[in-house]
Amino acid sequence: MSLTARLSEALNPIVIKELRQAVQSRFVSAVLLVLLAIQLAAIAIYLLISRDVSGNFQAGQETFMILLGVLLAASLLFVPIYTAVRLLAERSDTNVDLLFITTIRPRSIIAGKLLAAAAITTLIFSACMPFLTFTYFLRGVDLPSVFIVLALSFTVIIVCSQIGVFIACLPGNRVFKVIYGLLALNTLWMAFGLTMAGAAGLMRFGVGSALNSWDFWGPALAIALVVLSMGGALFVLSVALITPATANRALPVRLFLSSAWLLSGVATAIWSRVEKTCEPVIVWMVLSVIIGCIALFAAVSEREQLGRRVARKVPVGWWRMIVFPFFSGAASGVVWSCLMIGFSLGFLWVWGEIFPGFKGQSDKREALIWMGGLSLYAYCYALTGAALRRYLLRRLPPGATWLVSVVLLALGSIVPFLIGYLLSFNEGWKTEEVGSWLIGNPFAWGIKESRELYFIFTCAWAAPVTAVNLPWLIEAVKNFRPFRESEPPSGIVELRLSE
Amino acid sequence: MKIEVVNLKKHFGHTHAVDDVSFAFSSGQVVGFVGPNGAGKTTTMRILATLDEPTDGDALLDGVSVVEEPERARHLIGYMPDALPTHRDMSVHDYLDFFARAYGIKGAKREQVIASVEEFTNLTPLREKMLNTLSKGMKQRLSLARALLHDPPVLIMDEPAAGLDPRARVELRELLRVLAAQGKAILISSHILTELAEICHGAVIIEQGRILTAGAIQDLLTNHIPRRAVMIRSLGEQEDLRRDLLELPRVEAVRLVGDEVAVDLDGPEEAACELLAALIARGHPIVEFRQQRANLEEVFMSITTGAVQ
Repeated sequence: MSLTARLSEALNPIVIKELRQAVQSRFVSAVLLVLLAIQLAAIAIYLLISRDVSGNFQAGQETFMILLGVLLAASLLFVPIYTAVRLLAERSDTNVDLLFITTIRPRSIIAGKLLAAAAITTLIFSACMPFLTFTYFLRGVDLPSVFIVLALSFTVIIVCSQIGVFIACLPGNRVFKVIYGLLALNTLWMAFGLTMAGAAGLMRFGVGSALNSWDFWGPALAIALVVLSMGGALFVLSVALITPATANRALPVRLFLSSAWLLSGVATAIWSRVEKTCEPVIVWMVLSVIIGCIALFAAVSEREQLGRRVARKVPVGWWRMIVFPFFSGAASGVVWSCLMIGFSLGFLWVWGEIFPGFKGQSDKREALIWMGGLSLYAYCYALTGAALRRYLLRRLPPGATWLVSVVLLALGSIVPFLIGYLLSFNEGWKTEEVGSWLIGNPFAWGIKESRELYFIFTCAWAAPVTAVNLPWLIEAVKNFRPFRESEPPSGIVELRLSE
Repeated sequence: MKIEVVNLKKHFGHTHAVDDVSFAFSSGQVVGFVGPNGAGKTTTMRILATLDEPTDGDALLDGVSVVEEPERARHLIGYMPDALPTHRDMSVHDYLDFFARAYGIKGAKREQVIASVEEFTNLTPLREKMLNTLSKGMKQRLSLARALLHDPPVLIMDEPAAGLDPRARVELRELLRVLAAQGKAILISSHILTELAEICHGAVIIEQGRILTAGAIQDLLTNHIPRRAVMIRSLGEQEDLRRDLLELPRVEAVRLVGDEVAVDLDGPEEAACELLAALIARGHPIVEFRQQRANLEEVFMSITTGAVQ
């Protein structure tokens, strides 16, 4: 077997399919040709309008930034949108269903889409490389900076493609999809601006001399880790979204997030110890609690019954209860989110107690109050929504529970404030009065005068909410049992047919 | 290969899309899955294809549960959904190549398999054609080719003949006959009941998620017709024959149709025997006496009520 044939066999089928479709597509060819034409025109115009190119030692840098802007704008607009739209189109009919009855895994589908996006980006970059190389001869750029900027741009495009894939995987009707699309465009615009700003900085100062310094590699590695974690989280979430609801699809997501949480926690703890400041752990805790709160709202929308496919994966033995929070299911998700929030808050508090001399102790206290309060509200809203859906809004499917919780959150944040405004109209509000009318707003913990009130209120709310949901939670834990093999079927009517 | 659907239930909230459905059939048999829109046919088929999980019950393919072992079951099932392939910028051959890869068929074997299914479904001349240029009939053949790539012993076909012209329907029917002869077990849903009766060994009639009746086509045609129609030609006077017929028990109506007399009988097949005996006993010179067979469409109309949940 030839090398290409062997490579073809080893490749993900989705990559081959996507690339074949891209090659056949007139749209892709047109985009590539237009991009090359624009690059050529940009260089020509720059050279023609520049008066003294030979005497300008920044000519290469200026040209490079123009070409990079064109390349990045075109790639950021084309690759993520093209990848997302293709997936969206396939998800809108039965094509994804067809994939699920093959031996291909949802993970391979998402990985294939991303690899195809990477291949198309490589194709575009390769096509533009002669123009970018040309800038070197105009002086003002160093090769390490060029390669690092290109690597950075490439990474940004792939991460944006992952964002596009994630958005394409999100469930929702056309209205939601339009909203997602607008959010995605905004993200792409921000990514373009940030990348161009970063690239301009790198090109201006040059990275060639900084390559041997920790001042360069420290932030670079930190950014790479954040980007990798974010990309990884979006990847596992995308896989979970296209995995059938009957599968144990929450497991990889929770395992990934738990691992990322643990690793980033260790990294920030080391950083905090070295720098003798609580700041890195505070940032880690804030991010972890925000993720935990979002996960709470997502968890209450999961299936409440343990499906048989999930039940088959429940282990036998004492560690069944340890894996319970990681499995698919609303109760598991709620427990996992609460553990994530609790451990994050607890770790920061313990860290501050162990190292009282570290900088940022007051920030630590504020962060604990803010995020603790926020998560208490999130818990109350999410579980009130779940209880309402379960006992009063029974016609709603479990998948819509998050919507009930979000509506409650919106009402709780706005309605008391509006009532207060109407009652005190034209009388002029004092800060402490405003604070008490923001009692349903989880983001009002900045008003120090009202914190005690908020705390009493949320505790008084959390207690009945927990009491109402506790029987359901206990039932879910009891039902989290290993699957029992079904008995042989009986009583089937066999059709008496002659062949 | 034995396909057993066991007490299958699928509830969507308060709607019982599939409600305790059980039936079984074997290799080499073609079974029609018949019911009005919203009866639960597609839901049942999607469960069989491992795409949905039942609320309760199971489907077993030679003992392999589609609920408990979907990965194993997928190797045994070829599924043709009611939607047609719509991938953009893709040729027929590339489409089949992609799915063959997705089924894990590797190397030279893949090329052989694709060539073989292309030939079987008569797609060889169309292999370089783009999907968006294919007619509905071609797309149905392509969909069948895709379902056959991994040579599954069970085929589940959801409305494969919908929207096809008569020629394409005949071609599809012939392909199904060949596949059944090859020993594949085929479950097929369709609204074109006359066609189903021609190719199916048996049928399951479902409405509101429940099986109304199931069995061999001949049994259904015999046992589930509302009334029995008999055509009689006599060398004697038609009016005498008509008068005598009206005096006989179980005769509900008598009409003159050309040189024949059409009789509507109430009762089982034995009633027709008794009628013939009575007419001969009364001396009528009967030269032709035939029972008109009901078709599946009449059976369907007589059994179903058209109610939806």
